[in-house]
Amino acid sequence: MKDIARQSMSIKVESMDLLNGQIKMEAHASATYLAMASWCEQNGFFTSAKFFYKQAEEERGHMMKIFEFLIDTGGNPLSPEITGINHDYSSIVDVFESTLEHEVAVTKSIHNIVKKARELGDIATERFLDWFVLEQVEEENTIRDILDMIEVTGTEGVGLQMIDNQVGNWIE
Amino acid sequence: MPMNVVYQSTYYTLYQSVKERCFYVDFGQKLVRMSLCQLLSLRHKVLSISIEDHFDGDLNKHGFEVLMLCNKEHLLVLNTLEILDLKHMVEQGFVAMGLSEEREAVTV
Repeated sequence: MKDIARQSMSIKVESMDLLNGQIKMEAHASATYLAMASWCEQNGFFTSAKFFYKQAEEERGHMMKIFEFLIDTGGNPLSPEITGINHDYSSIVDVFESTLEHEVAVTKSIHNIVKKARELGDIATERFLDWFVLEQVEEENTIRDILDMIEVTGTEGVGLQMIDNQVGNWIE
Repeated sequence: MPMNVVYQSTYYTLYQSVKERCFYVDFGQKLVRMSLCQLLSLRHKVLSISIEDHFDGDLNKHGFEVLMLCNKEHLLVLNTLEILDLKHMVEQGFVAMGLSEEREAVTV
């Protein structure tokens, strides 16, 4: 019997489900960074706002990368429904700490899919996620560096203004 | 029309047609032709149904689900037992096709 299903789709449905979950997570991250950009604009952190606009675009780029991979492999990518975006932050430190928490959660989720793909023998998905694993190392490192810079600069006096100016160093 | 049975549950049968390079699902009252994409869409819809809601009079008063398939070409009204069976058929159908490793219930 010819294998029509395998000829039409080259990854496992379990990987597809997890990647659809990741699409949602990246879309949520993109929307969260847009909310952070809004907070920064409203609180006078204009360089940080630019940083978060760029981050929002990047996360959407990640989402599209997964979406296109699912198309290429014959899967069924789902347009995500995004709700529950937080717009309230107590300070710029709170914004960047929340960003790091978000990135760590994304990293964990990607690692989980890699492990599951390995378990399923889904080599295509595992290899596809290599780029994401390394990208997350870079993303986490950027935010950690910004938090270190905030720690060194301090938030007293003109500290906040200096922090915002220096965030520009991380905008490519 | 020569077709191979991929998986048969209590109420439903999934067939593969090599000649037409597609699948058929026999829903009892009708036979529906489906591409793999349409089968994946059916899988998503069926596995997204919360069966727990069928046992809560406030969340699902009548215990029925309305399913639209193949870009609104087909409409099915199914009861709790039929939904449970369809979930089973979809899960095991994908296992039989070699696209799923799951042996137990999955959620999407």
